[in-house]
Amino acid sequence: MLAAYMFVSVLLFAIGATGAMIRRNFLIVLMSLELMINGAGMALIVMSYYIGNISGQVMFLFVAAVAASETAVGLAIVAMMYKNKKSVDINDFTTLRK
Amino acid sequence: MIVEIIVFAILAAMAVGGGLGIIVTKNPFRAAMWMVLSFIGSAGIFVMLDAVFIAMLQLIVYAGAITVMIVIAMYTMDRLTIASLGRFNNQGYFGALFGLGILLDFIVIASKLRINTTFAGKNLSIAGSNVKAISDVLFKSYLLPFEITAIVLLIALFGAVALTKKDL
Repeated sequence: MLAAYMFVSVLLFAIGATGAMIRRNFLIVLMSLELMINGAGMALIVMSYYIGNISGQVMFLFVAAVAASETAVGLAIVAMMYKNKKSVDINDFTTLRK
Repeated sequence: MIVEIIVFAILAAMAVGGGLGIIVTKNPFRAAMWMVLSFIGSAGIFVMLDAVFIAMLQLIVYAGAITVMIVIAMYTMDRLTIASLGRFNNQGYFGALFGLGILLDFIVIASKLRINTTFAGKNLSIAGSNVKAISDVLFKSYLLPFEITAIVLLIALFGAVALTKKDL
């Protein structure tokens, strides 16, 4: 069963990474980042169960806190960009390029 | 054992199907609903792995707070602007290829994983309580990282407020 659980975690991480790279909508990129963090956290929980050490579950608490702060800052960036550009397309977010 | 495999298959299908729903749905509102489905499936898998407290934390923090925050941010924007974007980037095929590479790489690593599973499912609760075991380790061994997490959250709050100020 260990390989099956790890496979789900790896699949979540890879789907999230793919979504963060191929989508144009910044809000969906943020959701994909959440999915990646969730996949990494699931690997922590699986290893915590199979090794028999509670520290993995404690690490998940820290991961969840970092995920929450990352979403807050990401949404602030989206709100600021929408205010300036009236768009959430990542191809419009090139204000530093010129 | 067979019941465990059936329940695991359903939960894994929820988690992975929700993830696929996020990256192929055009409308971000529907993507948020797919994300809730994925997080509920993950919470079920956490319950199967004896991480009851973490499963409830997952439901409250991810499926509750983060999804509501993203959806409320969408409410403040124009519906047609955010829902009528094209799905994929111009160079999206390269990203998809890269994601496939990550997947294959991690599958190889996960299949070569050899750990000592003699303690599998043990030491995860004290006197039948998962929360007691977590708090015992959290407040004895990880007290300083716990305090630093509070500072990280505070600085993220400051950053979010500073970014959305009118004249910066």
